[in-house]
Formats: sequence, structure tokens, C-alpha cells
Amino acid sequence: MAGTGHTVKSYEEEMQSLNDNLVKMGSLTETQIAEAMAAVIKVDKDSVDKIVKNDGSINELRSIIDEQITTVLVKRAPMAVDLRITLSTLKISHDLERIGDLAKSIAKKVKPLPIDLPDELIGSLRRLGDLVQKQLKEVLDAYLNKSKDKSIEIWKKDEQVDDLTNLAMNEVANYLQSDKKNLEIATHLLFVTKNIERAGDHITNIAESLYYLIEGEYLEGARPKGKPIDS
Amino acid sequence: MTKEERLKKRYNSEKRFKFYGILSVSLAMIFVLVLIQNIVSKGSSAFSRTTIEVDIIYNANLLEIEGPITKEALNNAEFYDLSVESILKIFPSQNAKEERQVLRLFSPDFEYEVKRVLSKKPNKINDIVPIRLTASDDVDQLNKGNFPRDLPEDRRRVSNFQLNIYDNLVEQDKIGKKFNDYFFTKGDSRDPELAGIGGSLMGSFFTIVICLILSFPIAIMASIYLEEFAPKNKITDFIEININNLAAVPSIVYGLLGLGILLSVMEFPRSTPLVAGITLSLMTLPRIIIPCRASLKAVPPSIREAALSVGASKFQTVFHHVVPLAMPGTLSGTIIGLAQALGETAPLILIGMVAFVVDIPGTPVDPSASLPVQVFLWSEQAERGFVEKTSATIMMLLGFLIVMNFIAVYLRQKFEKKWN
Amino acid sequence: MELENKKIKIQAKNLNVYYGAKQALFNINLEINQKEVTALIGPSGCGKSTFIRCINRMNDVIDICKVDGSIEIDGSEINDKKVDVVMLREKIGMVFQKPNPFPKSIYDNIAYGPIIHGLAEEKNQMDNIVETSLKKAALWDEVKDRLDEPGTSLSGGQQQRLCIARALSVSPEVILMDEPCSALDPIATAKIEELIDELKKSYTIVIVTHSMAQAVRVSQKTGFFHMGKIIEVDSTDKIFKNPSNKMTQDYITGRFG
Repeated sequence: MAGTGHTVKSYEEEMQSLNDNLVKMGSLTETQIAEAMAAVIKVDKDSVDKIVKNDGSINELRSIIDEQITTVLVKRAPMAVDLRITLSTLKISHDLERIGDLAKSIAKKVKPLPIDLPDELIGSLRRLGDLVQKQLKEVLDAYLNKSKDKSIEIWKKDEQVDDLTNLAMNEVANYLQSDKKNLEIATHLLFVTKNIERAGDHITNIAESLYYLIEGEYLEGARPKGKPIDS
Repeated sequence: MTKEERLKKRYNSEKRFKFYGILSVSLAMIFVLVLIQNIVSKGSSAFSRTTIEVDIIYNANLLEIEGPITKEALNNAEFYDLSVESILKIFPSQNAKEERQVLRLFSPDFEYEVKRVLSKKPNKINDIVPIRLTASDDVDQLNKGNFPRDLPEDRRRVSNFQLNIYDNLVEQDKIGKKFNDYFFTKGDSRDPELAGIGGSLMGSFFTIVICLILSFPIAIMASIYLEEFAPKNKITDFIEININNLAAVPSIVYGLLGLGILLSVMEFPRSTPLVAGITLSLMTLPRIIIPCRASLKAVPPSIREAALSVGASKFQTVFHHVVPLAMPGTLSGTIIGLAQALGETAPLILIGMVAFVVDIPGTPVDPSASLPVQVFLWSEQAERGFVEKTSATIMMLLGFLIVMNFIAVYLRQKFEKKWN
Repeated sequence: MELENKKIKIQAKNLNVYYGAKQALFNINLEINQKEVTALIGPSGCGKSTFIRCINRMNDVIDICKVDGSIEIDGSEINDKKVDVVMLREKIGMVFQKPNPFPKSIYDNIAYGPIIHGLAEEKNQMDNIVETSLKKAALWDEVKDRLDEPGTSLSGGQQQRLCIARALSVSPEVILMDEPCSALDPIATAKIEELIDELKKSYTIVIVTHSMAQAVRVSQKTGFFHMGKIIEVDSTDKIFKNPSNKMTQDYITGRFG
């Protein structure tokens, strides 16, 4: 943001390390979501344990970032852009951690699924997963580039996520209606869909935090909303 | 060189420096002590005078009083013959020459000393009254041990005959010592035993009072104006430089000024404390202005700001706050300036204060001497008695200077307000 | 925002100040609202102290200082020749960086201003002024039993509050504070800040400070000075959360120079 660095070098280093940790956390979360979605699509039960285990390092990073932010607040009493970076980083790290948690619970739902999931059942789900992954990647890129336009774009795109979610849910509902024996699988798949949608909401949060970080103002207007499920 | 060696060298040079410092301070102390010891050892004997007790026969017939003996008549009477008659009885003399020698054992004032005692005691007429008369300078010095007795007679101021009488008197226990009140109460005299600093003390006092009255208000006003009110421009800079230069002008130049203007042009009376005071105040002015301005400058600007910020005018700020705070420094500066003036000799010589003045001045326009000039005058005298008088006068002068300096220090410490 | 509703107390228009050949302030335009604390921040030598010393014309005592432009208080020009500087300073009190009580008793410190302005005719009137001033400065309870002691015997923070009480004694409308806490410890600073909060209900306060945190805590409006120019003036909230000017941002985030 600012052309020159802080007069106090260690302050500069602290802010840099905060940034690095957030970026690291972002890429870990990205991997987790990607792997969780892949596991669902392929019903790859072997990778579940690994995903669950990796969530630990995201949580760990979040604790580190929390600690660092406390330190910066106490030591530097950050003002203006530094204050906004600090606050946004705190919020973004919490959103990322929630996304990680969601990836974990998505992965956990793979275990009870049958190996041979019908393709028509997971078509929308796959598209939804791809979109959310793309959103996450873009929001992380926007963070790196501090791009205001990108953050608004991502924020607006959440509408598509909601629409796709509705679509995927409808598919699952239809599948459920076709045979009452599908209840268990359908429930799991509904959870997976809902979790991905939630991850999308967190990405929107991140975009909002990013916008505040850059502009010092909150994104105005109602949140983009998809069409209701039953329409 | 290793670190340890360098460290050692550093400590050594520190020690050397300390040693040199102590050495120079001790040297200075030794000089001062030697000076003081010298003056005190020479001068302390001046505070006592030798007396010879003589039994005066109060023979009223010798008083040449016509008519009844009243107090008034006694006051106008001549006591010379009466005194001489009794004095000559202390030792049998063969001829007039020896009689003169006997008389010369006493100060020329013996007649008045006798009169002073006897004129108050008309009831003692025809009695014998023992009176301690002041001995002459020669006997005084002999008694104080300043005259070697083993010199040949023609190189001595005291003849063998006089020595004989002196020894005789010592045997009879007639020679005594007395506190020398004459030194403080009498004016100058050609006879050392009768010379005193009374005249020059008063002269110095009048001079300093006039100097104070003239220089203090002018110096204070000048320094307040220059420091607080004068605009900072070339003219005030010029004045400031000149004040500093004036403080360094040799004092004799001020003497010339006094001589040229006060005596020649304005025709003020010569040799008077009035002229001396005016001349010395000219000399003292810059020497007071400089410390006054320094102490005004030392008042922190925060005090001025404080006063100004509650709405005090410039004048109120200066006279309510700055001047009272600068007062201790101002006063001590003034006293030290006056102390310098008190010790000044050269300008006073030029305006005629070296005149031989016997009378003690009663007003500042009477001719007078002053203490430092008295020192100068007496130091040129040949008589041995003036040597101790010179040193004693120096002691008095130093005493006054020390007292004035103590007052200056006291004022500064007592009234100096602490600000942070 | 609430800023717009405030009445303007002091308005500087195109103010230029020169010290001899050197220009110290360039074209300053600043509005200071009534009964509000305005903080002036900026690096050393940026002209913020020079500016507040223009408000009560303390620069008059500096021979080489020349003030050009206008400062209006309640709409009337103070640099006008007709304005008596003594009356002006009765209306505008000032508190300085270093506590500077007179080397007199606490009582006399407060009483001095009212005496020279003739504000009290009788002893009990003066006692009253001294008591209310000290109470307003939150010092009364600490010194009421020792009003005869010298003002310089108080602690640093107490001395500064004494100076504030002294400024209040002539019932000013505006109080100028030139880094009033820079010589004080944190507790004394907190007391002064608490006092400023209290005083802003009845007085217009302009405070110069080097402590950004203090500016945030005490002020409603902040002006950032740099090299004799006003770079940015805005609500304190805006300045410290999201300043518009990059220079302001660099200064308050410690990226300056």
C-alpha cells in the first residue's frame, strides 16, 4: 500500500510476517477445499484422514496469526492503514479457518457415501465446488494484489454460488423423492452442498474485509442473494 | 597496545590531570596564605599603641588662668607647661638637649591627652594624677621590638640616653600597651602614632554611598530597558558592544575624565568624596549593567510566556515577574561592582584625593582621603610606624571587601527562587 | 456528520507567518469549532506551535515575526490594530509544554490574572475565583490545605493542572495547549486528558500534541501540519482510521521520511 516502509523496521517485519502467514493459510485452505471436493466427487475414502489431519495446521496458523495481531495491537497501536490491515487480517484468518473446518466436514461426509454415486447427482455439485474453489483462489489473488475491483467482483459472484447451490440442492431433492431409500445418501450430500455454500459465504466475507482494508469503508448495499430453493 | 595498556594509560592521564589540578590549587592557596600572613603579621601590631605612665602634678599655677578656676576656664587653658614639668620628672636630665630627648619619648599630642583627662577633674587640683600618655613612634616601635638595639648609636633613631630612660621605665613598669583607638578615630597625621584611618574610612563611605545612589538606579533601568524593551537593531547592538568595552576600560581613564570634566569644566571641589563618587559611578555603571543584564537574561522565557498568556502587558510581565526574579543576581552584581569601586585607587589619585587631609570629613563635599589611597600614601612614608599602619589599613580594606562579597553571596542564595 | 452542526469559533484564512526571511506558515485555512477539542499534529518544526501562538498573538513578542492573513474569533478579526492584545489573551488562555507556574504561592499563581484584569474587588471574591478555578482544573482537593505553598513545590502533573487553573482564572473562551503532557508521566497525562474531556463542555480547546494516541483520545477534529502547510483536516475518527492524504497516512502510521 504505502510506498515507503515503516521507520521502525521490526514493525515492518511484523506486518510482513502477518501477511506471509495469512497467504500461507490461504493456500492451505485452497488445497483442503480442492482435496475435499475431489474426495467427494471421486468418493475417495482414503484421502479423508489426510484432509482431517491437515486441518490441524490451518487451525495452528490461525492461532499464530491471532497471537501476532495481539502483539501488534499492544506494541504498535496501529493507525489508519495498519489498523485496517490488522483488523482485516484477523477477520480473514477466521473466515479461512472456518472454510478449512467446512472442508474437513465435507471430507468426513465421504466415508458413508457409496462408491458408485450416480453422475447426474453430482454434476451440479462438481460445478458448485469448482466455482467456490475459483472464488477462493481469486479472493486470495485479490488479497495479494490489493485489488479493489476484484474484491467487488468476487463479492457479486456469490450470487452464482447461491444459484448453483439451489440447483444442486434441487438435484439432491429430486434424487431423494425418487426413492425413499436414498435418504441417508441424500442427507449427506445436502450437508456437503450446504457446507460449500457456507464456504462461499465466508469467501464473500473475505472480499468484504479486503474491500475495507483497501478503501477504509464498508461495502455498501444488500448482500447478493441467490433465488430461494423452492422457486 | 593492548586494551589493558590503553585503559591503564587512560587512568594514568586522569590521575596526572587531577594531580596538576590539586597542585595549582595548593599553589594558589599558598600564595594567598603567605600574603595574608605577611599583612597580618605586619599589621596586627598597629591595633595596639605603647603608653608611658606619667604622674602628672596638677599644678594649677602653671595653667595661666586668670580669675577663678571654672570648667570653662579649664577648657581654654594651656596644659603644655604643666605637662612638661611632670614629664621631665620621669628622668633627671642635665641640659636642654636631654630635656628635648625626654620630651621626644612622647607623642607631640601629650599636652592634649593631659588636658583631656585633667580638664574634667577640677577636684583633683594640686593632686598627683597618673596618666598613660601615648609614646612616640620610636618608643612604640622599640617596645614592639621592631628596632634592633645593637646598632651603633648614630644609626639608631633612639639615642643611648633615651634607651636608658626606656629601660628605667620598663623596670618601673610604667610602659604599657593599650588598644589603639586612635587608628580608627583619628585622621591622617605626620606622626605615625597619631595617624588613623578615621578620615579615609568616612571618605570611602561617602564615596561608595554616592556611587551607589548614582550607579544603581541608572544601571538597573538601563539594563531593564536594553534587555526587555529596546528593539533589537544596530543602535542597541552598538550600545551593547560599547557597554562591554567600557567595562574593560582602565580605571585611570575614568580618573582623567573626572579630572577633565568634573574638576576643570564643572569646577567641583577637589579631593572630595562627591567627585570621587561620581567618577567611580561612571566606572561602575558598565560593571553593574553587565551582571544585571545577565541575570535578567537568566529568567526563563517560560515565566514571561506564563505572564503574557494570562494577559499581562509587557510592562507588567517585566516588573511583576522578570525583575523580582532577577533581583538576587542584580543585587549581588551591584555589590561586587561597588566592592571593586571601593578598592579603586588610580582614578582617585587623579582627582586629587591624595591630598594630606587631617580633618575627618563631615559631608561628601569636604576634602578627604579614601582607604586604598591611604594605603598608597602611607606606603610611601619613611617612618617605621607607617609600615604597620599600611598593613592594618589593607586588612581593614580586605575585611570590607570580604564582608561585601559575603553579603552578595548571601543575597543570591537567600532570595534566589527555584524554578525548574 | 455532527461536525456540520458545530458553530465555528476560530477561523484562520490565508494565514502566512514569516520569521525574518523564512516563511513558517503557508496559506493556512482552518476552522476550529466551538466547545470541541481540535488536535494539531505533525512532525517537529511543521508550524503547529507557530499556528496556535498566532491565535493569542504570542508571536507579537518576537521582533522578527510577521503575521499576514486573517484569524477571526467569533467573526471578528484579531490581527486588527484596534484589538488590544491584553484583552485578547484574557479571552484565550494558554498552557505550555513545560509546566511554568510562577515562583509564588499556589493562591497567588491563580490570583495573578484576575488581579491584573481587575476581576475581583474583595478578598472573598478572589478566594472564590481561586477555588472555582482550582476545582475546574481538578486540583482543589489536592491543594486546598496548602494554598500558601509555592506552586513549584507541586509534582509535574499538579503543576500543569495549576497552569490550567491559572488559565481558567480569567474565564477564557478558548484554551490553547502546546504539548501539555510532553513532560508528564502516564498517570499525570491521563488526569490532564480526563480534564480536557471535562473542559471541552464549556471551552473551545486547541491542543498541539506529538502523541498520536493522545490526539485520538482527546480530540474530535484533527489537523495535520507539514512543512508549514495544512495537509489534511478532518474528524479525528476519519484521520486516524482512513486519512485521505497519503502524507497524513504515512505520518500517522510511522512511515514518515
